[in-house]
Amino acid sequence: MVLRGIDISLRRGVVAGIVGENGAGKSTLLKILAGELRPQRGVVVHRGRFGYCPQDVVLNDALTVRQHLKFFMTAFGLSDLCRAEGLMEVLRFSEYADERAGVLSGGTRQKLNLTLALMHDPQVLLLDEPYQGFDWDTYRRFWDLAAGLREAGRSVLVVSHLAYDTGRLDELWYLEGGVLRPRAEAAP
Amino acid sequence: MRRHLTFFVTAARYDLVMHARNRFAMFLVVLYVPAWVTLAHAALPDKPAPVRLNSTGEFLSPPGDQLSQITGALNAVTLISGFMMFAATFNGGRFDRRLAMAGHPRIHLALAKTTSLALACAAVSVYATAVTCAAWIPRQPALLATALFCDAMTYGALGVLFGCVLRREVEGMFAMVMTSIIDVALQNPIANTGANSPLVRLLPSYGSMQAATGAGFTNGTMASCLAVQTLWFAGAALLALLAFHRRTRSAFPRTRRPRTPTRRRPAHGTR
Repeated sequence: MVLRGIDISLRRGVVAGIVGENGAGKSTLLKILAGELRPQRGVVVHRGRFGYCPQDVVLNDALTVRQHLKFFMTAFGLSDLCRAEGLMEVLRFSEYADERAGVLSGGTRQKLNLTLALMHDPQVLLLDEPYQGFDWDTYRRFWDLAAGLREAGRSVLVVSHLAYDTGRLDELWYLEGGVLRPRAEAAP
Repeated sequence: MRRHLTFFVTAARYDLVMHARNRFAMFLVVLYVPAWVTLAHAALPDKPAPVRLNSTGEFLSPPGDQLSQITGALNAVTLISGFMMFAATFNGGRFDRRLAMAGHPRIHLALAKTTSLALACAAVSVYATAVTCAAWIPRQPALLATALFCDAMTYGALGVLFGCVLRREVEGMFAMVMTSIIDVALQNPIANTGANSPLVRLLPSYGSMQAATGAGFTNGTMASCLAVQTLWFAGAALLALLAFHRRTRSAFPRTRRPRTPTRRRPAHGTR
């Protein structure tokens, strides 16, 4: 059993984080929260629109960035790509709109991966190692984006094996031995 | 209704884009089909090969090289469609699941895949028939193309099935190649003198092989053979659909989805 007795609730307007060592079960937990895996016991309750950015970039290498956005625009039932284009501006990859995903750099693929999770303005957002491959500027812009989501009343849960982002989080849990514990030293 | 059409058209359009960008499949179509068919004509003797059409009970003795061209064309179109669908399913499995979890109905994704498969199979089958006609004129070229199409569709469905259940790319490629080779070789009277055995009636390409042979050398309609092949396609497609459904399902129970003012339809469930 990877996880035991997990009990976590994500409040409105909070950017929370879960940290833990490699293999601690962070991604498994997030996959359960996102509906990719079924837990042996227990329930997951979502309220509102929900977005999930998986740790492995999930794209189709044959499609261009714009084709990805249009495909997910249809899936999400959006009427336009205004928000997606705004996210591309913030993450600075608008110039790759007509490039195929298969030829993009790792960092740009991750930007698209993140944009697909955010483009429908989710009320609850689950992010698994969302800044992998980002350069420093993009990393900072990602946290600006997260702060903007907090101000808009969105709930964001970030999973990472690194603990140096803790100052940017409202709440922090530590996953160890399959058990999730709150960290009192987390920033307010 | 319009919403359903949008889901379907969008998915079908991007499925076709993905197939068109599969360079290896395009290479196979452009070079492998004419190479197989031309080599069979050039390298094999034209000695008559005895073959029995089980649907009519008729015994035929067509030239061996022409019969081998038909089996070669079947082998080529099945490998191409099977490989295309295997590659698309294997590489796009998680992407399909992400789309489904974002709110794209899986039935529309499956219908779009079937449509793009049918268009690709139709193009490859017509091409393979045209290449065959360059060497000799079958009695019924349209029936030959139809037989190739039905077999290509069957292998396309098998490709989706293999793409869903196998874990490594090489496993799928091997499974696809070996299935096609065993299937076609066992039915070729030049490679197997026992090709009229009742056992070969159970092979996935049996209906198409009989229909294609009838198309090459008789004036019969071969409707029953095409019906057998259609049954094989239906069975393979059903298994593929079940595997696709299982692979793209969400762990959450199905519930009503909330509506929001900025969206035409909601994307994710609420519990």
